[in-house]
Order: sequence, then C-alpha cells, then structure tokens
Amino acid sequence: MIVIERLSKSFETKRRTAPHLALADISLTIADGEFVSVLGPSGCGKSTLLYIVGGFVQPSEGSVTVGGAPVTGPGPDRGPVFQEFALFPWKTVLGNVAYGLIEQGLGRAEAEAKARALIALVHLSGYENFYPKELSGGMKQRVAIARTLAYGPSILLMDEPFGALDAHTRTGLQNELLEIWERDRKTVLFVTHSVEEAVFLSDRVVVLTRSPGRIKAEVRIGLPRPRRRAELLVDRRYQTLVVDIERLMDRPEERP
Amino acid sequence: MSARLAAYPGVPPLIACAGLLALWELAARVFQIGGLPPAHAALAELPRLLADREALLNILDSVRRMAVGFALALACAVPVGLLMGRSRLVAAFFNPLLMAIYPVPKAALMPIVMLWLGIGDASKTLVIFLGVSLPLVYHAYQGARAVEEKMLWSAAAMGLGATRRLVRIVLPASLPEIFVGIRTGLVLALITMVTSEMIARQSGVGNILFNSLDMALYETVYATILVIGAMGFLLDAAFERLRARLVAWAEPERAIAVGTT
Repeated sequence: MIVIERLSKSFETKRRTAPHLALADISLTIADGEFVSVLGPSGCGKSTLLYIVGGFVQPSEGSVTVGGAPVTGPGPDRGPVFQEFALFPWKTVLGNVAYGLIEQGLGRAEAEAKARALIALVHLSGYENFYPKELSGGMKQRVAIARTLAYGPSILLMDEPFGALDAHTRTGLQNELLEIWERDRKTVLFVTHSVEEAVFLSDRVVVLTRSPGRIKAEVRIGLPRPRRRAELLVDRRYQTLVVDIERLMDRPEERP
Repeated sequence: MSARLAAYPGVPPLIACAGLLALWELAARVFQIGGLPPAHAALAELPRLLADREALLNILDSVRRMAVGFALALACAVPVGLLMGRSRLVAAFFNPLLMAIYPVPKAALMPIVMLWLGIGDASKTLVIFLGVSLPLVYHAYQGARAVEEKMLWSAAAMGLGATRRLVRIVLPASLPEIFVGIRTGLVLALITMVTSEMIARQSGVGNILFNSLDMALYETVYATILVIGAMGFLLDAAFERLRARLVAWAEPERAIAVGTT
C-alpha cells in the first residue's frame, strides 16, 4: 500500500524569487494491486509526484510510505518506466532486461533465462541481441517494461510511458500492459495526460489542477475487467466517464 | 570517375601521398636549398634509420614514455572528469584550475619540470601526462554531464549505489565522448613527446631529429619527420579500430530493425 500524506514540493527558481510550488497538499492512498492514474495538464507536477514516490526526488513537505515504511530513496520494490525509455544503450535487449537480475546477484545463465522469458512476454523474442538504437520507440518501451518487471518490483511507477509513441503503437502497448497487469496485478501508479488512456487502464483516476498541482477530483472507474478496447469504445459507461473527466479537467479551478 | 575511386578507400590517400612527395621532389630540385634534400634522398635514408639499433632504441624510448604518460593520464583524468560531470561541487573545485592550465603550452613547462625531476624519463612523462590530461578531463566531464538522469534513476531503482552508478552507468554512457578526448589526446601526446625531447635531449625520436639537425644531416631529419608522421598515422588507425569495436552501440543507425512497433 502506498500512502501519500500532505505532500508538497517546491523548486528553487533561477531568478531567486519565491520558490516555485509544483505540488500542494497531496494526500492519496493506493491499495495493493490497484491501478491508479494521475491525470492533469502538462506542468501540473504529476510526474514530480511519481518521482517522489520513486524516491528520486525529495518532497518539501509531507511523507510517502510504502507498506508502512517511509520512502527515503529509490528501491527495487518500486520499478519506474519513463517516457524517455532510459535504456542502457551499450547493452543489448537481453543485457538490458537481465541487468537488474544480475545486480541482484543472480548467476548470468539464470538471469538470462529469466530475461528471455520476459522478452517473450513483451513480444520481442528474436531481438535479444539488438541494441536499443536499432529498435523503434514502441520496441524500446517494451524493453524498458521488461527490464523493470525483471527485478520483481511490487509497484510499477509509469511516467507517461506511451507519451512519445504514435497513436497506433500507443493503443497496442496499452492492451499489452493490461494483459500483463491482469496476470499478477501489481500496484500501478500511472501518470498520463490522456483521458482515454487513464479511463481504459485504471481502477481509479486522480485529476490534478493546473500548477501548483492539487487533487481536483478522484473518479472510480468501475468498468468490468478484463477490458477490451473494441468493446469499451462502444460502451456508454466508458464514453460517459471520458466525457465527464474531460469536463472536469476543463472546469475552472476554485481557489482554496 | 570519382564514384569508381571511392570504391577503393585506400586509393585517394595514396594519390595524395604520391602527389606530396612529387611536389617535394620538384621543389628541392628547383630551389636547391641546402636544408631541403629531395624526397628520394629522405626516403632512401628511411631503411637505414629503421635498421639502426640506436635509432630504434630511441624510438622505443619515445613510445614507452608516451604510453606511460598516456596511461597515467587516463587513470587520473577520466575519474576526475566523470566526478566533475556528476557533482557540481567537484566541478566548481576543478573548473577554475583547469581553465588556468588549459592555455599553457605544456612543453613550455619542460624547463621548470626539469629543475624538479631532471632531464630523464620522469620529467618527459610528466609533461606528456599534463598535455594529455586536459582534453581527457574535459571530454569525460562533458560526457558525464550529458548522461540522462532517468538512466541513473533506473539503475538506482535496481539497487545500484552512487559509486556503482558512476562505474557501471556513467562511465560506459560517457565512453563515446571519452573516446573523442582520447583521439585529441593521442595527437597531443605525440606533439608533447617530440617537443619535450627537443628541450631535454637525451633519447627519443625528438633527440634524433634535433641532433641530426645540429649536425646538418638533413636526410636523417626528414626521414625522422616521416617516421613521426607514420607513428601518428598508425596510432590513429589503431585507435579508430578500437573505438569502432567498443562504442559501435553509439554510432547512429541508418535503419531501424523492422517495421513492427
């Protein structure tokens, strides 16, 4: 369980004026196995929220606990997947996916066997010996997902993972992500600015306000699982949720 | 015509070399300067120079000092550059120092260094070390600074601590840029090597060069210059082969593997 309590984050600005407030007073609890999306306009601090949960960025105020233990830094219990892929370019696909396993002390043969299974899971069998530069964006993100799944985090932190991909690749990867998620139901914190993506994937959508990011609304997505894209697109409940959340995002913010 | 020539990568440089030699031969015959022997005379001197035990020992001395100076520079400069790239504090500490040292011609320090360390190997090696260190530090610094933050975060999530991240992530990620520094460093090492031997003549390629100049053995002078040129060429070619092997992963790829996503 992830518990975020009264979290704020401000950054020092270069012009030495007042520090820029990126996130204000965020409190959010995410249950084990829950898929939660954080939705908001660009610059609302939603990625910063994810970085703080990951332990990559320190909060200015408030706290994050994971399974009761306060977050003090990055750890293999929380696996990040970034929009920029962030693959190791000097390693092959196999080397990238096996990296975390070897780091955890697994023997090379065992790590590579596990890595091959994960590469198959993300439909990249046959590309084990390719370097990242030889892959398309969608393939790179699949490698990144396999690399993170490899070391067995109980929580996935996904930072606009499909934001840099074209629409077709994007929907393909959304389907694959759901398939993978249905198997072991990891806790997922998913940051996006696409309403459809958030509704399609999530159990719950958290909408943030424009900068500084505050929680504007939380919407439970009660759509049945497993979800199929083709069925959802013609489903009234899905359409209503998308329209409602879009309206919610457009609504002017009341100042606290 | 040009397309056919390009099909043989060795041919254009050979033509250029032959042209240069022909021009040299012509100039020597036309101007008849005492200090400029014709190309064929210098070329004829080459086998004698390369068969001479004394000369070979001198060349070997040079190469040894260059290798030691270079290895020391690699061992010191790369870690300093990488640390500078990842820590603003380290960068703030070393930056003014490097800026002050950069414009100083390192060989010009030779007379001072000789006062400390004598005219032997130690002072020449130190001067080569200094000459090579700066481009290495600079490029390692640039490389480390450009390492994608998210890549380091991904490694941190896998459990790599700060030191391991520096060695296992920042170093390989900076390697293409470090190799740019190494290439510049190799040329500088060669230049500093010859200059240091000119100032402190005791042994080495520079020693042969300037002693023969003093004795007006111009054929030997030019043959030695050809040897130095060849050393530079061979070093660079060997280095390029090594670089192509080690950082092929960073070379831009013309085509993406396949059309699938």
